[in-house]
Amino acid sequence: MVDAAARTVRSESDSMENSTPVVAARHIAKRFGHVQALRDASVSVTAGRVVALVGDNGAGKSTLVKTLLGINRPDSGEVVIGGHVVDLHGIRDAQARGVDAVHQDLALAPDLSVVDNMFLGHEEVVGPGLLRRRTMTERADAALRELGIALPSLTVAVRELSGGQRQAVAVARAVMWSSTAVLMDEPTAALGARQSEIIADLMRTVAARGLGVLVISHDLPRILKAADEVTVLWRGETVLEAPASDLTVPDLVATMVGYRAEEQS
Amino acid sequence: MTDTTATMIPVDDRGRREAPAIVRWLRTRAAWILVLDLVLIGVFTALSRDNVFGSAANFESLLLSVSQVLLLALGLAMLLGAGIFDLSLGANLVLSSVVGALVMRSFQQTPGDSASYADPGAVILAGLAAAVATGLLFGLVNGLIIAFAGINSLIATLGTLGIGTGVALLLTGGSDIGSLPRVLQTAIGLNSVGIVPIPAILSILIAILLWAVVRYSRYGLRTLAIGSSRSAAERAGIRVRGHLLGLTALGGALAGLAGFIDLTRFGSTVLSGHANDALGAVTAAVIGGTLLEGGKVSIAGAVWGAALAVILQAGLVILGVSSFWQLIVVGAVLLVAVMLDRLAALRRSRAVKAD
Repeated sequence: MVDAAARTVRSESDSMENSTPVVAARHIAKRFGHVQALRDASVSVTAGRVVALVGDNGAGKSTLVKTLLGINRPDSGEVVIGGHVVDLHGIRDAQARGVDAVHQDLALAPDLSVVDNMFLGHEEVVGPGLLRRRTMTERADAALRELGIALPSLTVAVRELSGGQRQAVAVARAVMWSSTAVLMDEPTAALGARQSEIIADLMRTVAARGLGVLVISHDLPRILKAADEVTVLWRGETVLEAPASDLTVPDLVATMVGYRAEEQS
Repeated sequence: MTDTTATMIPVDDRGRREAPAIVRWLRTRAAWILVLDLVLIGVFTALSRDNVFGSAANFESLLLSVSQVLLLALGLAMLLGAGIFDLSLGANLVLSSVVGALVMRSFQQTPGDSASYADPGAVILAGLAAAVATGLLFGLVNGLIIAFAGINSLIATLGTLGIGTGVALLLTGGSDIGSLPRVLQTAIGLNSVGIVPIPAILSILIAILLWAVVRYSRYGLRTLAIGSSRSAAERAGIRVRGHLLGLTALGGALAGLAGFIDLTRFGSTVLSGHANDALGAVTAAVIGGTLLEGGKVSIAGAVWGAALAVILQAGLVILGVSSFWQLIVVGAVLLVAVMLDRLAALRRSRAVKAD
């Protein structure tokens, strides 16, 4: 039913799978008070591909992702979604265009159940706003299953879940409401090795469904394996965009910090 | 599609088996408070002369008292669910009753004569509308200060508590407004269906409605989401400030209705009788299991909690204990409730850390 509709949207984006980016930022600049967070940052994500956004602390990775989500408004430069230059006034605008995110803090409400969290902001209702919890539970269950995520129960409060399980719920929620791209801000930062591996697999699964995936990560060896392309930010500037297969970890580290060494010399 | 059958995320279900519904209900705070209510009724009945505490007449008067406490507690529970507080409910009640009384008095034909109203029914409706609208506006002002000016709700409503009380005293010159239409009391405030007073029926209906809202509606879900994590609600695309404004308006309107019920009970305003209303409302909501930190509302708990506050007060009166002690007992009960809250929160955070 509703799921079928969601799939049609995805198969359309599958057919768009060529070099046209589904989500892109072009020459973004953003200043917060005295801090020039972004100078000339660009990144582009193609359908079905995983793009890693890497850089040293303070390079502007999160700021760039927040710009793509409409949480920040750029001082200059443009955001392109689905081939159109868009002016995003908030996260709702990005969500309306099929872009959703897994935030650094996951943005889950700990007191609410897994189902309620997954549908928050997208609730299924009848009549005067009454929740259709049965339908919601079935859809959440299907969405989690499709990604190969198993949870003890969908009605327990999220605070009862382990870190990895919460992460998986956040990813599944973002995938569920995205028809264009999923942006992930350090999805494995708080996780152990095994759970990080699971989340990396999850990214591949999501991309295989025809969505663009943009992921911020510090875990270079793992992200080089999982990503198709790598974009390196250095002090708010995009300094490298290359296929992951052309790069090694030492290359990446050199690019991330090398610019700093160059400047100091 | 990738139909991975393997369990990718380790499942941990250490004996998480669903208990029977009755057992789960008995584990809720609301159930415990209801049991405590019944025990206290039994004890006070046994201790009172001729078991008068258990009489139908006493129940009728208990229910009438509960109706007002409950309206304030319901509004407060909804606000607490979204993580905001309201200290100004008692002041709102008084100001709303004053405006309602003034509006009704403006239709009086012979000053000071409670029989000289041409169309008492219409006058009462105008009074009701004025009281509820005043309460709603009061709540909106709170909401604007809290949600849009970004001021902490405790401080904001402490401010409006003072302002509201002051305005009520200015409007009345400090003396109560009486000689309202007599039908106000005979048809509403002192009228009952069986032993259930009309105001109590009204409060109970509103409680049932809000119970359904919290449990089954999108509005309830979003309220709890905001209280549980405001940033998560924002990231989910919810218009948090607008939602909070709606909640404070709701809480205010309920306080306005409680103010109108004041008029129907006493036939006049009761300027000095509501200094401790906020205490009763907070006690009722919190002891019933609504969390101060937000994210959890128990409407049933607020109902039994409001009953507990009223039963305690009335029981002490009937036992001939000085009225000064009532305040002490209700305050102590509130502290015990909050401590239980802390304990539960500690246990939760330990459970999370153990993961």
